[in-house]
Amino acid sequence: MAATALPESRRVSGRGLVLAALALAALCAWLALDAPLTGLVPREGGWDVARGFFGHALRPAFTYETEVPDGTSPLLLSGLAAARRTVVFAVAGMSLALVLGVLLGFLASSSWWAQDSGGRKGLRQRLGPLVWGSARVLIVGMRSVHELLWAVLFLAAFGLNTFGAVVAISIPYGGTLAKIFSEMLEEAPRDSARALRELGAGPLQIFLFGQLPRAVPDMAAYTFYRFECSVRSSAVLGFFGFPTLGYSITQAFENLHYAEVWTYLYMLMALVVGIELWSGALRRRFVA
Amino acid sequence: MNSARIDELRRTRPRSRLLRWSLALLALLAVWAWAGGEIDVAGAFGARRLENLRRFLSEDIRPYDLRGKPFDLSEHLAWCWHLGTDRGFAGALATLEISILAITLAGIWASILMLFAARNVASREPFESWVSSDGESARLRSRGGGWRLFSGLVRTLLVFLRAIPEYIWAFLLLGMLGPSAWPAVLALGMHNAGILGKLGAETVENLDPRTLRSLREIGASRAQVALCAILPLSLSRYLLYFFYRFETCVREATVLGMLGVASLGYWIQDSRTRQFYDEMLFFVALGACIVLAADLVSMLARWIVRRAA
Repeated sequence: MAATALPESRRVSGRGLVLAALALAALCAWLALDAPLTGLVPREGGWDVARGFFGHALRPAFTYETEVPDGTSPLLLSGLAAARRTVVFAVAGMSLALVLGVLLGFLASSSWWAQDSGGRKGLRQRLGPLVWGSARVLIVGMRSVHELLWAVLFLAAFGLNTFGAVVAISIPYGGTLAKIFSEMLEEAPRDSARALRELGAGPLQIFLFGQLPRAVPDMAAYTFYRFECSVRSSAVLGFFGFPTLGYSITQAFENLHYAEVWTYLYMLMALVVGIELWSGALRRRFVA
Repeated sequence: MNSARIDELRRTRPRSRLLRWSLALLALLAVWAWAGGEIDVAGAFGARRLENLRRFLSEDIRPYDLRGKPFDLSEHLAWCWHLGTDRGFAGALATLEISILAITLAGIWASILMLFAARNVASREPFESWVSSDGESARLRSRGGGWRLFSGLVRTLLVFLRAIPEYIWAFLLLGMLGPSAWPAVLALGMHNAGILGKLGAETVENLDPRTLRSLREIGASRAQVALCAILPLSLSRYLLYFFYRFETCVREATVLGMLGVASLGYWIQDSRTRQFYDEMLFFVALGACIVLAADLVSMLARWIVRRAA
C-alpha cells in the first residue's frame, strides 16, 4: 500500500493509467499495421476523385444523370421510396428487437429471480442463476455479431428476403436492449420495492409495480436512442443488396454519378438528423 | 389515502403531449411497417427458402473437405486451426489494430472539435450568456455572431461525419489514397469522430458553469479554461463514451472489408463472393471472438475510469 502514502497529486490516477495504456496500444497498432505516413498522401489522380465527389455536394442531382429506361420513376421519387423502406426496416427491426429485449432483459436481470422471499430458498432462487446465466450468454452471442454480418448469414442461408433484413437488425439490437434493460432494472432505486415488500407483496408484484416503473423512463430513453441507430443500420444494409437508401447510394457511387450520390446522401442525412432531433426531444422529456 | 386523493394525483401527474403523440405515432409506424407489404414474412418460410436453409445448414457450412463424412470433432478443429493460421488470426489481429488506431484518432479529433461545437464555449462571452434567459444575456448572445457561426459550422461538419456511412468514406478514401490500411482506419475514425464529437459537446455543455465562470472572472483566456478546466472535468465522461464507441468500432471493423488490408472483413467478403460459406462462418465466428475480447477490455477500462471519477 505504498501508493496511499503518496500525496494526492503524486498518485497515478486510474484515468492517467487508462490514457497511457491507450496511447501505447495505438502506437503498437500503428507499428504493426504497416501503414506508413506516406500512405496518407493522395495518389496520382486522388485529388480528382475527391474534387469529383465533393464538387457535387452543393449540386445534388434532381434528375438522373444518364438516360434511363422508360417507366423508371423519377430520381426524387425513387429516393423517397428508398427512404421509406429504410424507415420500414428500421421500425420493424426495432419493434422485434424491443420484444426480444424486454423478454431477455427480464430473464437476464437478477432483480426478480434473486428477490428473497424471506426464509429458505425457493425454486425461483435456485433456478435463478441458471436462467439469468444462460440468458446473458445468449445476449452476448447476439450482440457480438454485427447486424450486417447477420444479414450476410441470412442472405447465404435464405437468399434475398426482406424479413431476413428485419431479423438481422433485430438480433444484435435485441441483445443490446436486453443487456442495457437488465442493467437498468438492477440499478433502479429499490426503495419502492422495499416498501411493497413490507406491505406483503409477492415477488412478481414487487417487480411489476416496484422495480419496473422506476426503470421505465431510462429504458424508453435508451430505446429511442437505439431507434436512431437502427435507421442508420437499415440504410447501410443497402450495401448488401437490400433495397434501402444504402443500395441507391452504392449503385450511384459505382456508376460515378456523384450528384445522385449526394441526393441520396442528403435524404439519408435529413432522415438521420430529423430522427436525432425528435428522439433527443423525447429523451429530455423522459429523463427530466 | 382515499380514492379522491388518488384521483387528484392521477389528474395532476406530469404529462407531455409530445410524448403521447410520439408514442402513438411510433405504434402506428410499427403497424404500418409490418402490414405495409414491404416485409415478406411468408416468403421467408416458403418451400424454396426452407430448402435453401436446409442445404445451408447441412452442407454449405460444413468444411468443404469434410462434407459427406461422419462428424469428427478433431478433424473440424484441425480444419479451423489450419484456416486460422493461414489467414484468420492475422486478419483478426489486423482488424483489432485498425479499430484501435481508428478510435484513437477519432478520440483526438473529437476532443478538439467538441470544444468548438459546445455552445457554452463557442459564444462571445463563454459560460455566462447562454444558461440564463434574462434580457442582458440575450443581448450578449446575439452579439456573439462570429463564434456562433463558427460553432454552427463545426456542428454541421460533425453531422456530415456521422451521417455519411463509413462505407462511403472508405470507398472515397480508397479512391483517393490507393490501397493501404489507411482508408479503413480513416473512414472508421471520421465516422466515430462525428459521434464522439457530438457526445463530447453535450458533455461540455452540461459541465457546471460556476467553475468555468469563476476561472473566466479571474482572467483566464478561453484556451486556458479549455485546457485547465473543461478537458479535465469532462475527461471521465468522455472516456466512458470513448470506450463505448470502441466496442462499436471493433464491430464495424469486422464488417468493413476492402482492398488494401487483409482484415477479417476482407476475408468475409472474399469467401462470400466465392460462396465458400464454411470459411465465411469461421471468419464471422472469429470476428465475434475479437468483439468479445474488445468488450471485456472496454468493460475493464470503464470500471477503472468510473472508480477514479
